[in-house]
Amino acid sequence: MKIKTEQFQATAREELKTRHTRTHLDLVGLLLREKRQATMGLFPDPAAALDLGRTIRAEAVERLPELLEQFERNAAARGAVVTWARDAREANDHILRIAKEHNVRLVTKGKSMVTEETGLNEVLLKNGIEVFETDLGEFIIQLLEKPPYHIVGPALNIPVRQICDLFLDKGIMKEPTLDPVELGHAARIFLRDKFHYVEMGITGVNMAVAETGTIINVENEGNIRLTKSSPRIQVSVMTLEKVVPTMRDAMHMLRLLCRNSTGQLLGSYVSMDTGPHGKGELDGPEELHIVILDNGRSSFYRDTEAREILRCIRCGACMLECPVYGKIGGYPYGWAYSGPMGQVLNPLMLGQERTRDLYRACTFCGACKAVCPAGIDHPRKFLSYRAGDARGDPTYGAKRRPWTERSFMEMFTWATKRRWRWDLGLRSVRPFINRHAREGFIRNMKGPLAGWFKSRDFPGMAPKTFHDGMHKRGK
Amino acid sequence: MSQTGKDEILGRLKAAPKKAIPPRPAVPPLNELALNREETIGKFVENLTSLGCEVHRVRDPGEALAKLTEIARAAGLKRILASEDDVVAPLDLPGWGRQNDIEVFTPKDCRDREDFKRIAFEEAQAGVTGVDFGVAESGTLCLIHDASQPRLVSLAPIRHIVIVPADRIRPVYETVTDKLFAAEGTAPSHLTFITGPSMTADIQATLFAGMHGPKDVTVILVEETAA
Ligand code: SF4
Repeated sequence: MKIKTEQFQATAREELKTRHTRTHLDLVGLLLREKRQATMGLFPDPAAALDLGRTIRAEAVERLPELLEQFERNAAARGAVVTWARDAREANDHILRIAKEHNVRLVTKGKSMVTEETGLNEVLLKNGIEVFETDLGEFIIQLLEKPPYHIVGPALNIPVRQICDLFLDKGIMKEPTLDPVELGHAARIFLRDKFHYVEMGITGVNMAVAETGTIINVENEGNIRLTKSSPRIQVSVMTLEKVVPTMRDAMHMLRLLCRNSTGQLLGSYVSMDTGPHGKGELDGPEELHIVILDNGRSSFYRDTEAREILRCIRCGACMLECPVYGKIGGYPYGWAYSGPMGQVLNPLMLGQERTRDLYRACTFCGACKAVCPAGIDHPRKFLSYRAGDARGDPTYGAKRRPWTERSFMEMFTWATKRRWRWDLGLRSVRPFINRHAREGFIRNMKGPLAGWFKSRDFPGMAPKTFHDGMHKRGK
Repeated sequence: MSQTGKDEILGRLKAAPKKAIPPRPAVPPLNELALNREETIGKFVENLTSLGCEVHRVRDPGEALAKLTEIARAAGLKRILASEDDVVAPLDLPGWGRQNDIEVFTPKDCRDREDFKRIAFEEAQAGVTGVDFGVAESGTLCLIHDASQPRLVSLAPIRHIVIVPADRIRPVYETVTDKLFAAEGTAPSHLTFITGPSMTADIQATLFAGMHGPKDVTVILVEETAA
């Protein structure tokens, strides 16, 4: 997958023009929010349930190395083959090797953000292996060659007419239709053959249970179950933070995941593998390969603040809550991970220099943090990246801000540090500011501050400060 | 790659500074745990119904078969794939099929994996299974997969008919998983929680059933089972 995080502003501007995207997203967002609140409200104590989820994820991340070893031990004891991959390349090479060893020509995939991250499809296709995304949304964007729009609904924004044209063009169906149900049915028929004859299935992992060595997938369509049931070889790829301590923890997280991502009590299908299939079974994998992918995560794990993002369970709730995402949609974020979770994760994975617009696209309303079942404080992370920029901190490749901004900030800090400087400053800038104010607001300005005023207004200043006024009355 | 990769990754994780593990907050038990038998069954049925599943309550296995006949007639079923789990096997569905002019395939009839897959994907108009547990909190059907309960029976055909003994209904997931995952090495290799039909909302958020799996999930809830 091409990384386009640098083009955030340009893409956002484009997306703002497509009205369709916005009105539709607004509706979906409203509906989902209502369903989420209703299902979360079914917990006897919703706040405590949320709190427990956050604690489980925090514990899982703090105990990460120990839990991963325990998970590997238990999964291997049941016959799963566990492999560790340092980066995307190692993971892809490994999966390609398994495919080649078994002469695999046809692969189906369940939706997984991690293989989106590693660009696995391109690698398999280049080696002559047919790969089909089978989640309806992923299937559509694979045909369109577009990145996912949202981690839960990757093709939510694509208009029906475009899907119809696409399906006709690619021979998925013969007769045009604008009915989403019939389009879905055409995809069912087309993919059914693939499921029947698939030789290797590739899935992501929602949770890996350390205590039992079990991997868990949650879905609604059944494509993951088919991908795990029909072929003889199953490869499930997980990033290393997917692990939870116990099966009980997994069950609680399952409830939180489903309620927060789609407002369901539970996804239609939750499937749990503890090793490959047993003796005499007619379906299910003879070989179960689990790939644990690092891809840079263990490096920022050393930073106790940064590692907080590893708690994320990919529910997607923060995106639909985010007022910025609500306007611009998923594309501007330029990678597999969009919205607030992407704004936190992408700078750590890709470096701050190419993602600096991401963590500035924030109103600091805190809606993401409030909803997050994993207990991530997104706004706080944005502030720390921005502070990193100001310092030119090389840890995540921050690049210093322009000298104009820096010197302005230094002056500002200097001025605010002493009471008399501040008062003096106020008095001296007041006439200047008020001269530019129209109807009590400065709406634009020339010079180095022009950019700031493009999207903000600054109120004019009262002739006297509150303090001065009080002072006078007191006398 | 794997050994050095693993050592490197774990090495970095272990060398990282530690932070205190936060204490677990107290969470009140789920409401379903306080329900009596009849209420638990009621909750299970209520949840299934709101998922769009048809639920038929019958007294005994004889009535269950009669209901199955009715369902098969109404839907015009001619070819059914049935599992051989401990709920369905005692019903002798192949015998029932002969009486009702319905071809019933079972895993035993299949020559091999390919043959089974052909029947599951191409032939069967419905899959019939039992359950190992039902869970009231979300109307969930729990299936343990083994030689008698292949995965595709409840998945590949467009219709899934499930026979649920009432005494297998449990209040919450943990009552099921605590038992199944209690001892090391005894956990089922594959466990599925089915909650309603196969769904999608990927095109313009239009919700519809029958994406890749069953479009209809019909539950026959049996009050008393023989044994
Ligand atoms: S950051 Fe939190 S709210 Fe956002 S996807 Fe992850 S778990 Fe969900």
